[in-house]
Amino acid sequence: MEQTSAAQCPMHEVRRIPNDGTPLCPSPTFAIWREEGAATPLEYSDGHQGLIINRYELAKMILEDKRFSQTPARMPAHHGEELTAQYGLSSGSDLDLGNVLGLDGEQHARIRRTILNRYSVRSARGYEADMKAIVAQQLKHLLAQPTPVDLTKHYAQPISAAGHVRVLGIPEQFRQEYSQLFVGESTTDEKVEFIRRVIAVKKDCLAEDVLSDLLRSDLLVPEIEGLSLSLFVSGRDSVAYMIATCMTALLNNPDQLKALRDDPTLIMGGMEEFMRVGAMFLTLFPRTATEDLELGGVRISAGQSVSVSPVAANHDPAQFPDPDKFDLSRDAFGHVGFGHGIHGCVGQQVARVEIREGVMQLIQGIPTLYLVHAEQNEPGPFAHPVATYEAGEVIVGWN
Amino acid sequence: MKITVDRDACIGAGQCALVAGAVFDQDDEGLVVLLNVSPGEDMHAFVHKAAKLCPASAIAVED
Repeated sequence: MEQTSAAQCPMHEVRRIPNDGTPLCPSPTFAIWREEGAATPLEYSDGHQGLIINRYELAKMILEDKRFSQTPARMPAHHGEELTAQYGLSSGSDLDLGNVLGLDGEQHARIRRTILNRYSVRSARGYEADMKAIVAQQLKHLLAQPTPVDLTKHYAQPISAAGHVRVLGIPEQFRQEYSQLFVGESTTDEKVEFIRRVIAVKKDCLAEDVLSDLLRSDLLVPEIEGLSLSLFVSGRDSVAYMIATCMTALLNNPDQLKALRDDPTLIMGGMEEFMRVGAMFLTLFPRTATEDLELGGVRISAGQSVSVSPVAANHDPAQFPDPDKFDLSRDAFGHVGFGHGIHGCVGQQVARVEIREGVMQLIQGIPTLYLVHAEQNEPGPFAHPVATYEAGEVIVGWN
Repeated sequence: MKITVDRDACIGAGQCALVAGAVFDQDDEGLVVLLNVSPGEDMHAFVHKAAKLCPASAIAVED
């Protein structure tokens, strides 16, 4: 087949997200791209040619720049993987009015404002006692299992589900069903139907939680339902992923595990290092330029989509020296493992508490914990079309 | 050291309260509150860090 000159030029060769990396050992392709330039042409599943952002500095500039839109919701094309764009809300629904990841400007600010209070550092501190209790109960469950046992299924996932139930304020009688629908498989329609039933009950028992705040707010019904869907889904799998990935990182690196057991205060800064080296998103939801612009020497055309890569940015040696080294004592603040900017993870302060408790109670409660096999130590399929890693089974034992 | 915070720009990410909780907090709207307008020297590094981490550039610091 005849190739065009553009396709032969390395700077114009359009690439796909490499799938030969793991959560704790990114594809070497990212380092090659980062050396070539701050941005690399990327292929999207609709045939669009956008850019993947590899360097930290440009990643932050883009995530802070208001000239980018969250729409259209394009997904990067993948190597030999059949992934549909069925993530979050189905398009064309009025629930999109509340989908924080698909909104810009004033409407986004209006929706996001209603929930900020429940996700602040102060609120996160207030959840600590409940999170400790949730984790302690799950640790008891884990210890009652025959070994070897899957940490993801019996520990990380139930903790993340219970944490969501607590912070959102999902009434007790829906707890089990929430796990079935949001940890297990379900369609968006089933999720929405569940959310409507939860809201119908919640209306009559308002308390101090996210759902109650939404129901007290001036948001419209589709906005409340749409935002609820975002909040019921988002972070549920990510917190479980992070607990599983933190534990894999520690069990892969006995010196770091020992250091953390010897000095538990290491976890405060160490949490940032976990988020840096274990970032779940190979690329964030794409941003699309609303005008022609030039940032950090990179030209981006109006209508062109860019996918910021937290995995690539968090391993940029210009920001994090010796980036492939997992070191709990390093200053990893500023990583983009939770994203960054106006669409950065709204639940990140709560997530820090949940992940921290999940990790610390486990390593202190089971001194002889050892790794049998972690699926995520080998490259696997992406979990979502936007391209995220998957927790996978983390099989452990103890003596 | 002189610190100013811009609550209109603040997006409630909480980075400041996370790294310099003695100086910054978040109120019931989740937005930045300055607890200490002129913190002691032992806090200066943390205040600079908070300003640098802020995703909305809502914190200004003059030494």
